Amino acid sequence: MKMFNTLMLTTALAIVSLPVTAQELITVNMINPLPRSTNFYPLVVAEALGYFAQEGVEVNLLPSDTSIPYVAFVQNGQADLAMLDPVETVNARLAGANITTVYEVMQNAPEAIGVLDSSAYDSVDDLVGTTVGLVSDRDRAFLQASLDVMGKSIDDVQTVVLGESGPTLAAAIRDSQVSAISGAAPDWIALNANGIKVRLITPDEMLASPANTFAMNADMVEEKRAGIEGFLKAWSKGMYAASVNREMVAQALRKGVPAEWEDEAAGQLYLDMSIGMNQSTTERLGDLQTGVWTALQPRLLSSGAIPELVDVSTFLNDTYIAAANDFDRAEVEAQAAAWLEANK
Amino acid sequence: MTDNVKATSQPKTGQMVIHFTIFLALILSWELGAQMGWLDKLFFPAPSAILTSFWRIYVSQGNIWFHLYISLGLVFAGFTAGSILGVGLGAVVGMNATVRRFLQPYVIVLEATPRIAVAPLLIAALGFGATSKIAIIMLVCFFAPFINTLSGVINVDRDRFELMRSLGASKIQVLRKLVLPEAVPVIMAGERLALTSALSGVLVAEFIQRDQGIGTLILTYTRNLNMASAFACIFTLTLIGFLIFKGMERLDHRIAYWKNEAGLRRVGAKRARAWAAEQGGLARA
Repeated sequence: MKMFNTLMLTTALAIVSLPVTAQELITVNMINPLPRSTNFYPLVVAEALGYFAQEGVEVNLLPSDTSIPYVAFVQNGQADLAMLDPVETVNARLAGANITTVYEVMQNAPEAIGVLDSSAYDSVDDLVGTTVGLVSDRDRAFLQASLDVMGKSIDDVQTVVLGESGPTLAAAIRDSQVSAISGAAPDWIALNANGIKVRLITPDEMLASPANTFAMNADMVEEKRAGIEGFLKAWSKGMYAASVNREMVAQALRKGVPAEWEDEAAGQLYLDMSIGMNQSTTERLGDLQTGVWTALQPRLLSSGAIPELVDVSTFLNDTYIAAANDFDRAEVEAQAAAWLEANK
Repeated sequence: MTDNVKATSQPKTGQMVIHFTIFLALILSWELGAQMGWLDKLFFPAPSAILTSFWRIYVSQGNIWFHLYISLGLVFAGFTAGSILGVGLGAVVGMNATVRRFLQPYVIVLEATPRIAVAPLLIAALGFGATSKIAIIMLVCFFAPFINTLSGVINVDRDRFELMRSLGASKIQVLRKLVLPEAVPVIMAGERLALTSALSGVLVAEFIQRDQGIGTLILTYTRNLNMASAFACIFTLTLIGFLIFKGMERLDHRIAYWKNEAGLRRVGAKRARAWAAEQGGLARA
C-alpha cells in the first residue's frame, strides 16, 4: 500500500510539474533542408551540451523538401527561422516578403561544382557544350553565377536535375552521364567516401558566399527576441565547441546522428568539411557581411539568378549578433571536455 | 483422418521446400553477382552486407527502433482515420441515392488527383508535424475503403433485397441480414489495400517532412550511399507490409467467416456447441 501511495504521489507530481516545464521553454520553429545532421553540427552539439534548454529554448526542427518556398512558412508563422541562401533571400525581398536576415550560418558556400577526378575538365569554362547535373533546382542559380564569373551563360550548358538520391548522383558522374554536378558538400562527401573521387572546379569568386542564413519575419524581431537570441547563442556555442574540441563534436554526432557515422571515415570526412563551412570567418560568430552581400548581388544579377539589386540594409539586421556572441568561451571549452569525458 | 492430414500436409511441405530453394538460389546468385562485380553495388549491395546492416541497425546500433516506432504510429493513426472516414462515408453514400448523386462526383475528382502532388499543400495548410503526416496517410487510405464500401452496399443482390422487403423486413434487418454480410468481404478487401497503402503514405510524408521516421532514415542512408542500410530499411518495410497483409487476411477470414469453408465450419461448430449446451440446460430444467 505504501508503495502504491508513493507511486501515486510521484505520478501526480510528474503530471503537475510537466506543463510548468513545458511553459518555461520558448519553442523556436526552424525550417531547413535536412534533419539533424553533421552538416549542421552546431545544432546537434548545442543539444548534447544542453545549451538550448539553458537558454530557455526548445528547438522544433522542420526539415523539409517541399516545393513550397521556405519563406512562405516564415510569412504564415509556422517557422520562426528559415535557412535561406542569398538568391532565395534577395528574390523573396523582391517579391515583397517582409523578411530579414539575422545570422549567417555558413560563411563559406557549401555549394560547389564537382567533376570526376580523372576527367579532363579543369574549369567551369570546360563545361560549355556538356550536360551538367543539378542536385536540386536550387543549384541552378549557383551554376548560373559560376558560369557568369567565367563569362559564360547557363545557356552554354545543358542541365538536368538528378535529385538527392546518392546512387543516382554517383552513377551519373561515374558513368559520365553528366560532365559535372552542381551540388553541396554532403553530395561530394558521400561520393569520395565511396571511392568515386570528385574534384571541385568552383571559381574562387564563388567560394566566399554566405549560405543557409537564418531569415525571419521582420515584424517579429522584437516579439521573438528572447527565443531567437537564446537560440542563436546556443547555436554559436555549438559552433565554437568545434573549434576547441573536435573529438567532443565527433562523439556528439556519433550519438546524435548515428546513421551518418556508420562508416567512421565517412563521418569524419563529413565533419571536417562541415567545420570548414560552419565556422564563422567573421570576428563575431554568425555576423552579417554587408560587403559580401553587396558584392555578390551583381554576379547574381548578371547570371539572371535575381532580376534586380536590393539594398542590403533593407534586409540585413544584426540586432541579435551581440547577444549570440555573449558567452564565456572558456566555459564552453570546459563543458565540452567534461561532456566528452562522461560520454567516451 | 490421419491419412487426410498427411495427404494435405505433404504437398504443403513440398511446396515450402521448393519456395525455400528458389529463394536461396536467388540470394546466392545475388551475392555471387555482387561479389564478382557483375552487379552494381550502388544499386544492389551484397546480401551479406545487407545482413550486416540488419544486425547493426537492429542490434549493435539499434537506431531503427525509434524511427520504426514513429512511422508505425503514423501508419496506424492515418489508417484508422482514413478507414473510419472511408467506410462511414461509403456506407452513407451507398445507402442514400440523393447523397450519392451530389457527393460522388467530388470524391471521384479527389481520387483522380495525385495524392503526392497534394502532400506539400497539406503540409502548408496544416503545418509541420504529425497532423499533416497523418492527413497525408489518411488521404492515401481513404479511397479503397470508400470505393469498396460503396460498391459493396450498392451491389447487393436485388432479388434478395426485394424478397426481404416483400417479407416485411425493416431497414435495420435488411442492413444486418443482407447488406452487411454481402458488403463486409468487399470492405475488408478495401481495408487490406488501405493498410498496405498506408506504408507508402508514410514514406511520402516522411520524404517531404524529413524529421524522423523510417522514410527519413532511408533518405539519410541513400544520401550517404550507405545502400546496404537503406536496403535493410526497405526490406523491413517489405516485411511489415507482408505481415500486415497476412494479418488482415486472417482478420478477414474471421470477420467474414461465411465466405470460407473453414470459417463456416468453425462458427457452425461453435453454434452447435452453444445450442447443445442450451438444450442440455433445458432438459435438466
